[in-house]
Amino acid sequence: MKSLEKYVWPTALVFLMALGVASPAALAQTSLTPSEIRGKQIYVQGTSPSAKEILAYVGESSLEIPGASMACANCHGLDGLGKSEGGINPSDIRSEFLTKPYGLTHPDGRKHPPYTERGLELAITRGTDPAGNRLLNVMPRYAMSRDDLTDLIAYLGRLGKDADPGISESNIVIATAVPSSGPLAEMGQAIRAVTTAFFDNVNKQGGVFNRHVEVKFVETAETAAGTRANVERFLADANVFAICGAVIAGSEKELVSLMAQKEVPLIAPLTIFPQTGFPLNRQVFYLLSGMEGQARALIDFAAGKPELKTLALAIVYSPGEVNATVAEAVKEQCKKNRLSVPPTYSYKTGSFDAAEAVKQLKQTGRDGVFFLGNTGEALSFMREAEKLGWFPSIFLPSPGSAEVLSAPAGFSGKIFLSLPTSPADQTTEGIGEFRALAEKYKLPTKHVAAQLSAYSAAKILAEALKRAGKDLSREKLIQALEGFYEYQTGLTPAITYGPNRRIGAIGAYVITVDLKRQQFLPASGWINIK
Amino acid sequence: MLNGKSSMRIRIFAVMVVLCLACAVGTAGKKSLISPQTPKKQSAKKKRYACPMHPEVTSNRPGKCPKCGMTLRLVPDASEPGTGANLPPVTAADLPSMSSSKIPDVRVYDQNGRQLNFYSDLVKGRTVAINFIFTTCTGVCPPMTATFRRVQQNLPERTPPIQLISISVDPATDTPERMHEFASKFNAGPGWTFVTGDKNEIDLLLKALGAGVSNKNDHTPMILIGNEMADYWTRAYGLSAPTALIQVITAAADHK
Repeated sequence: MKSLEKYVWPTALVFLMALGVASPAALAQTSLTPSEIRGKQIYVQGTSPSAKEILAYVGESSLEIPGASMACANCHGLDGLGKSEGGINPSDIRSEFLTKPYGLTHPDGRKHPPYTERGLELAITRGTDPAGNRLLNVMPRYAMSRDDLTDLIAYLGRLGKDADPGISESNIVIATAVPSSGPLAEMGQAIRAVTTAFFDNVNKQGGVFNRHVEVKFVETAETAAGTRANVERFLADANVFAICGAVIAGSEKELVSLMAQKEVPLIAPLTIFPQTGFPLNRQVFYLLSGMEGQARALIDFAAGKPELKTLALAIVYSPGEVNATVAEAVKEQCKKNRLSVPPTYSYKTGSFDAAEAVKQLKQTGRDGVFFLGNTGEALSFMREAEKLGWFPSIFLPSPGSAEVLSAPAGFSGKIFLSLPTSPADQTTEGIGEFRALAEKYKLPTKHVAAQLSAYSAAKILAEALKRAGKDLSREKLIQALEGFYEYQTGLTPAITYGPNRRIGAIGAYVITVDLKRQQFLPASGWINIK
Repeated sequence: MLNGKSSMRIRIFAVMVVLCLACAVGTAGKKSLISPQTPKKQSAKKKRYACPMHPEVTSNRPGKCPKCGMTLRLVPDASEPGTGANLPPVTAADLPSMSSSKIPDVRVYDQNGRQLNFYSDLVKGRTVAINFIFTTCTGVCPPMTATFRRVQQNLPERTPPIQLISISVDPATDTPERMHEFASKFNAGPGWTFVTGDKNEIDLLLKALGAGVSNKNDHTPMILIGNEMADYWTRAYGLSAPTALIQVITAAADHK
């Protein structure tokens, strides 16, 4: 017995010691202290969390510029490794490198003992290393408050070790936002099911670089402000790396600005109003063209057809923020195609006097109408036009509704609708993969379009995670996505993103309506917007 | 014993001082090599080899340059008949020189989206200072642009005014909107044009101005300063002190 104890004790001790060794590593995973969080802002943005001034003095002449123009991360990188640029190689400033006990010798022969906190202070404020050597003259000397300097130095100790939210050695947490009550609850349920199934399948195949992908959900609310509040609260509570395939329709503005503010990548949200104005929202990547893009594609389509490009167009629309943007886009696209800029006829939704609109447009000799309104209003317009025996071409960039099939027969072949994707985009392989998943996980048979959209979003995110590599960060994910060129999801047109491009498939298909046979007919192949 | 030790120390100290002095002399000697001077006459019989990139590296045997590994080239000897003038191996004069006629009149866009012809609208008849940037550059471009801003603020007024130009080395990313945002971040005033455009045309322009790079991160922090009328061109380091740059620009403008 005694002899056995003799062996057990040392073993137990070894385990205890192992635990002791393991704990600092475990600590490294914990979140940043308040001081480190403030320091990170100074490091990344060059601004003080307490709104005090931070100034940088560069070069021999001590040119003064705001710290925000020369934040530490600009040259040393978010990881502290240093980014080479213009023949300048900024030093690796991770603490494990700077505090090597035997000091450092740089490639240019500069030598110095390991950095201490005081050493870092001098490097930041006076541009000297611990041996008193001057640092490279592109390293600015910073003037900042004592507190800011303390915070910055606290963060420098954690540099390169603090992962973005939602990433650990073994896990990546992603989320999606879906409606869970109201008329869209069923659709939300379908999106939830397909996203869970997709990533469960990814995990069963070993995850992404040995990381398990965990999917969380947040509910959208009845109002845009409510949805924003829900998501904001959720992001504060749950550590989420990125959001994928969320239903943002109706709360685009609110959610997209939240994503930019919290720096959370949002991949392929479900909406037909992508927010792509300048300045670019770097965090948000859309799948397909929205209303505006589809309207532009319709104009490009018309400009390419000899019988359509001579049309005298008019834009009929009910002014609202969305339609006004689309109307402007139509005008701009006409200019690009060297077509005359169409006049506009506006009306108030709900009190559309179709007869008056028809009379006015017919009188002014228009023979093409770009209609931005609901399908019902477009139909009443066509019925009034029929009464006068006037059959202008009608362009509808709205999601096609089957109601259009009840238009007066005289408009057969004269109605043009646009679609951001078509069944022709679905490859056998792509649809086969989706069907296999649907069968394996018993996915709902309803809301297939929403499922396909969520599935494509998940597929794009999974691919981007792979391309971003093992050493994952949100910035690397964004860069990986910006590198997508004609990526085939197998379910949508090919997806291309870039530094200035946030819509995966910019363009549309144009279809026309055969009213005698009551069917939609393709009028064009894929149109890439000019 | 003690005395012996201290005398030892003094001696070591003396040796160190001598060594230090020797070092100083050594560097001074090197410096004189860098400054443009006619190389000392070589003995007529001896062949001299030099590195095409580092004229200061010479040898009397063929071999490789210890600095860059390039094969040393035979330097033509002045005393040999038929080899022409007494030329140093490769000097700055042999690098592609700049002249007004080399600047292509490519179609470019300014930060307001206006279409311009680079040579006729921005360079012809003026004194210009051109730097090379890209808007997603975070390291060297901000201080370079801030330097330019300071130059613009402190340049003495003249007619015609000095034209400042920043050309994007990443035109595929840098749309006029991005250039505009970048310009306003640095409070660029009128008379400072931010140029971007079609990648092929900008590449042509960059090549002609001696600033073409295959990777945007390799762009040099260089400022090209020129007086088109006098066909006088010179280059300066992009992070030089603004006062020094103003001197160079004013000298270029005064060049007849």
